[in-house]
Amino acid sequence: MNKGKGLSRPLLLLAALLAIGLAAPLAPCLQGAIKPYYGGEIVVRLNEPSSFNLNAANYSNLIFYSLIYENFFFLKKNGEITSHVFRDYRYEPTARTLFLTPKENLSFSNGKPLTARNIQASLKVFLGSDLSAASRLRKMIKNVRLDGEDVAVELMADHPDIVAMLTAPELVVLAENEQSFSGPFYPQEWEKGRHLVLRANPYYAGGRTYLDRVRVSFSESPAPDLFLSGPGQFKDSCLEFDSGIYQNIYLCFLQGDIGQNTKVALYSLLKRFNEATGWRYRELNSLTSDDESPIAIRIKTLTPQKTASILKYSEIKLHALSSLSSLEKDLTAFLKESNLRIETLFIDDSQFRASLDSTSIKYALVDKIFQKKTPPEEKISRILKETSFNQFNAKYLRLLSELDEARFSNSQELLTEQIARISEAIVGDGFILPLFQKNYSLYVRRSWPALEIDDYGRPLLQKVGKANE
Amino acid sequence: MKKAICSLLLLMATGASVIGQTGAEALVAESASFLGAFFRNMPDARVAVVRFENESELSDSALQKIYQMLVSRLEGEKSFRVLDLLLNFNGGRGEFNLVQPEALDFLIELKLIQNKSKTGLGLTVFSRLQNRVLTVKYFERNISKGEMDLLNTRSHAFANLGFSLLLEFESRLGLMDIQSIAAVDGQEQYFFFYPDEIIIYNARETRLEKHFQFKLAWTRPVFPVLHPEGKLLLFRLGSDLVLTAGCNFSPTAQMQTFRDGRWQESRKIDFVPFRFVTLNQAPYLVGARYEEGRNFFKGKVYFLPFSAAAASDASAYEKATCPALSLDFSTREGQLQAVHAIDRDYTYRLFTADFEEKKPLSEKKGATLAASNGEWLAISDFSRGSDQLFFYDIRDGGLRPVYTGKVAGEIQFMSAGNWHGVRGFWAGVRQPVDGMERLMVQFWGKRNE
Repeated sequence: MNKGKGLSRPLLLLAALLAIGLAAPLAPCLQGAIKPYYGGEIVVRLNEPSSFNLNAANYSNLIFYSLIYENFFFLKKNGEITSHVFRDYRYEPTARTLFLTPKENLSFSNGKPLTARNIQASLKVFLGSDLSAASRLRKMIKNVRLDGEDVAVELMADHPDIVAMLTAPELVVLAENEQSFSGPFYPQEWEKGRHLVLRANPYYAGGRTYLDRVRVSFSESPAPDLFLSGPGQFKDSCLEFDSGIYQNIYLCFLQGDIGQNTKVALYSLLKRFNEATGWRYRELNSLTSDDESPIAIRIKTLTPQKTASILKYSEIKLHALSSLSSLEKDLTAFLKESNLRIETLFIDDSQFRASLDSTSIKYALVDKIFQKKTPPEEKISRILKETSFNQFNAKYLRLLSELDEARFSNSQELLTEQIARISEAIVGDGFILPLFQKNYSLYVRRSWPALEIDDYGRPLLQKVGKANE
Repeated sequence: MKKAICSLLLLMATGASVIGQTGAEALVAESASFLGAFFRNMPDARVAVVRFENESELSDSALQKIYQMLVSRLEGEKSFRVLDLLLNFNGGRGEFNLVQPEALDFLIELKLIQNKSKTGLGLTVFSRLQNRVLTVKYFERNISKGEMDLLNTRSHAFANLGFSLLLEFESRLGLMDIQSIAAVDGQEQYFFFYPDEIIIYNARETRLEKHFQFKLAWTRPVFPVLHPEGKLLLFRLGSDLVLTAGCNFSPTAQMQTFRDGRWQESRKIDFVPFRFVTLNQAPYLVGARYEEGRNFFKGKVYFLPFSAAAASDASAYEKATCPALSLDFSTREGQLQAVHAIDRDYTYRLFTADFEEKKPLSEKKGATLAASNGEWLAISDFSRGSDQLFFYDIRDGGLRPVYTGKVAGEIQFMSAGNWHGVRGFWAGVRQPVDGMERLMVQFWGKRNE
């Protein structure tokens, strides 16, 4: 044992110099505990979902469902593809097959085993969905079968980039039982209209989150730690992330018997609503985005008097997707003030789709979320497929085939021309009018470090923990 | 080795005489000389400093050095016995282990005082048997600003004399623990515990050669983790070599027995065993249970009767401690001495063998710790990016900071062990390299023991 009796002066001096010399460069590094702190709750402000059934139709839902359902693969901002579910995945070009090997001993949130069979079933559910990413994948996949512990995805042709196609945010691991979840959290308590409490999933394939709970708040109280808003705000209190996402809002006419005057009058009224509520949204004069569209859509709005005279005798039921429910209060008040007989009805995506075959919906306010960096041809193709509703016909199918040809021609000129042609056809047929656009930033309070967002603008909460300094 | 140390000490002593005494040394020398003379005619007197208060500008660290210099001088006296009861210095006051005052004949109180430019040391000697103060003495010396700075530095010794880095090599990521045990042929075997397997190495000079490996099959429920953690325990039970492996992603630890030339899974234990101890002449496995999927232990310690004769369904009894990010048990000759813990506020906490909580280092923050028998305790710093190890002497039942060592990287785990007969600590250190990370295994040992 050293009692210090041997510490002579030169040695002490040397020790002191060593201590000073080493301490100085160390000081800035000593930022916090190595061992992360497990516990705590984060408050996330989102729109209220209609159910726990996957429905990633808008940005808010995209975030919400990513908390309770686990994606097959994640696409990071830097292009890296990762997975928490698979311990191995390999593409065999000779067999034109992708083999996915799930990690061992995985479980859903209720402890039931998560196996290759669940992966196979989930992929089949996705392939059967009415999504453009699913339809693209359907064209590539011949069969999905079990191969021992693996899931074998057999392709029609050689597609070495097949894994990139499986990063779609809607491709998630589903359980047979609706009440068990594969994501980092699972729902524990839902007070309708107020909040939803999610609890950390102890069986989460990626490793249990540091947080114990996520409180998804549907109001401004309590003050959220993570929320969406327009860019360039809350600089002092929050970190701002460019979500890489924008939301377009369209006015859609689902029946062919609506007069042009009525369409333009309703369009003018909604434009004025935006003005009256402080320009909450940016004007949108194209189907995708004004800065990339080859076609500018200029619709001359009517005066308030003219609008009122056209709509005076109409009884309009304007259906809006529940993802736009944040507009409900203001829009209802605005329409009431206008003394027009326009009723607003907010319905969720599944109800909306179920009503498409009937004539019950004539007017609809629909929003679409786009990634900024998605190529314009993909965006226009999605708009055509997803917003033409029951008016989709052979003409549009031909336009889409021509778009595919232009895409493979490697001619930017041809591609731009085809995008312009589709835009003209859609607007000319008058079933969709672009209204507004909103860019989103994701804000997180500075007290929550380590937040990352993926390529789809979703916050990854797995490694978010309370600062423990 | 001993010869080399003696030579070094000799050189150090020579160095001191060449440049002359410092003020502090002179103050200590005078005080020690006085006390030496006072007790010289009292053979077998049992003497200890029981109080040390600081009213000078010197830090706790400086106080400790002065105390050590004084005690080491008094220990040199043959005519009386000095007991070192210091636990710690905290807030300008020494903390001493006074649980057995009847073991002392004379109690010494020290007080360090700043008197203008001089520093004074007051001594009071109290006789416990006579229940009165026998003598009071005061010495004063000039301790310059430079010397004060020197005394206030935290360095206590040189690495070569204390704990130093004896071995370093890279390991696969995910390594959770290292333990070693002598094989039947006497050769030391090192067991590396990874989440999916155990690899056994033999030591060949300064390198490790793989001897054997076996997979660990964890059964449902498995709680995936961001940071795998685990503890390995090796001990002999009769002619069998027993291994237990527990972790934070499974609620049960595996027990494997090496019998008839192969490893066989013998049973499961519902906590993570740390030590094989003897309580009331009966062998027990002692350990704790992780909060599943997280990086800390629940606030209980479990004792499971364990012997060849004990029933395999015997239930463990438990004692309350605190939820702990890191935990270890100091034992001596198989007997439990203390439970050391880093709680969830990163604070060091100590529980005696009777599970009474003591606060010898009330302000000490840390991340990981390990105890080497009942002799040394190592605690890693509460830091990120670049780390530090603190070594404490726990031989007297106290906790005296003795050495520190810098570590490049972040210490992930520590465990007591030995390397070529040198006792010390294994540390798994995570280091960033070109945007990736690697795990370096280090062995810190005392060369002079």
